[in-house]
Amino acid sequence: MRQFRLFFRKEMLEMGRSYKWLWVPLVFLMLGVMQPIVTRFMPEILKSAGNMPKGMTITMEPPSGAEVMAQTLSQYNSVGLLILVLSLMTMISGERQSGVSQMIFSKPVSFVSYTAAKWMSMLSLITVSFVLGYAGAWYYTAQMIGPVDAAAAVKAGLFYLLWMWFAGSLTLLVSSLLNPAAGIAFVSLGAALLLSLMYGMIPEYLAWSPGALPQLAITFLQREGGDTGKAGALAISILCMAVFFAGAVSMVKYKKSKI
Amino acid sequence: MTPLLQVDGLTKRFKERTVVKGISFSVAEGSCAALLGPNGAGKTTTISMLAGLLQPTEGSIQLRVGGKPVLDRRPYIGYLPQMPVFYPWMSGKEFLNYAGELAGLTTREAALKTGEWLEAVGLGADGQRKIGGYSGGMKQRLGLAQALIHRPKLLILDEPVSALDPAGRKDVLSLLQRIRRETTVLFSTHVLHDAEEICDEILMIKAGEIALQGNLEHIRREYSEPVIRMEVGGEKASQDWLASVGNKAFVLQAEIAGTRAELTVADVEQASHELMEDAVAHHVIFRKFESGQSTLEDLFMKVVQA
Repeated sequence: MRQFRLFFRKEMLEMGRSYKWLWVPLVFLMLGVMQPIVTRFMPEILKSAGNMPKGMTITMEPPSGAEVMAQTLSQYNSVGLLILVLSLMTMISGERQSGVSQMIFSKPVSFVSYTAAKWMSMLSLITVSFVLGYAGAWYYTAQMIGPVDAAAAVKAGLFYLLWMWFAGSLTLLVSSLLNPAAGIAFVSLGAALLLSLMYGMIPEYLAWSPGALPQLAITFLQREGGDTGKAGALAISILCMAVFFAGAVSMVKYKKSKI
Repeated sequence: MTPLLQVDGLTKRFKERTVVKGISFSVAEGSCAALLGPNGAGKTTTISMLAGLLQPTEGSIQLRVGGKPVLDRRPYIGYLPQMPVFYPWMSGKEFLNYAGELAGLTTREAALKTGEWLEAVGLGADGQRKIGGYSGGMKQRLGLAQALIHRPKLLILDEPVSALDPAGRKDVLSLLQRIRRETTVLFSTHVLHDAEEICDEILMIKAGEIALQGNLEHIRREYSEPVIRMEVGGEKASQDWLASVGNKAFVLQAEIAGTRAELTVADVEQASHELMEDAVAHHVIFRKFESGQSTLEDLFMKVVQA
């Protein structure tokens, strides 16, 4: 437990000194706030673009607050995920690559504490960044577009947060398996996108897949039917995270250094 | 004396390549042993297995503390890798403190020891600076401090001075001189001179096998042979004469290159008399004539090239 605290403190310090605690939450906040603002001013933006034929009018159904929130979440699924993977990809492999791990692991340290500290700091970074961004999106949506149903927004946010946690856990697992940073980013991002794409194509077969989480979050907001398999997807995702963690612990133990 | 470290039949295979081939040795408590060998002999692999970073394919490594073998060696060893890498964003003091706490010191002990060791390795003034700005020698010294902060029974160092400039090398060697009075030290090197300077035991390994091991003094006595080293002038008479000395009866082995020769002989006195007389008869001009004993360096070269 003491070692976990030591490792965790070190991870936090590292994220602070490398400004991850600054730029990741900022990017998430920006992504969240942009959607309602852009939606609100879309007619003005189109007008000032000025290259529309004379006499043409576009009538846009003003979207509801819930719809804007749903669009924000899809933003997170592309750019947000990318930022996430990029900021986490070398968390485990970096120390092995540089050689610091040789010094750390020749000391009587627990591999579980070491990996758990990485996990906890990853979860904290994701949670803080996402909550900040989502809250920003919610606030601006409520101000500029219209009210959002609180219960639905919270539920959607929680489901989406779980999806981000899942993607973060996947990245750390891949980071414990591979060494090259580009490979880690490619594999984790690819796997996460594939999971959510596959669900989009054949939802009936993959109702319990973690890839269903982002879509489920959006359906909460849009109040559409067909949101089956919520509990299943929830359970499977948490199970996957536990398995990823166990896998990373044993990989860290097995591949202590690159020699 | 009971051995502190006992290694039996240690083997490491990477796929089909066997890097360490069943080596056995022991290190007595309080001694200083050097693992000596050319590049690629398997030194780093052996050291990594001893430090617990690599799993041996076969064989056993036993560390005895208080007469009993321990299950987990890590609390009792201090390890310094070949190229110590730190977190560049940490200061030297922070890293040492972190290493101490990871090794099991309490927060207070760690803070106390950090101060002591920073002074001991001469980084007292640089403790607050980020490690990213340290020189190679400073990193090596910080590495030594982190390996020693928890008072290990056995200090394992992988090529501690190979990458340093002469000044840094002297710093680290004199530090090691001091440390070895309190701790058992095992270190690897490909420079014989470093081993001679601080060690009393040597283990020469070559291509993953032990070629020679034992007490340094003992080896020096046992393997030293009488040697005559000569250098003659550049003119033809001298050179021709030098080229022919290898055929003399008292010469056991001759290495002749240009104007220099090194002869291993049976009896130095007899050999030098005869050589001198012969040289005078042939009007040879000497630049240098030296009789003595073969050094460990010669032995090392012989073992390495054999």
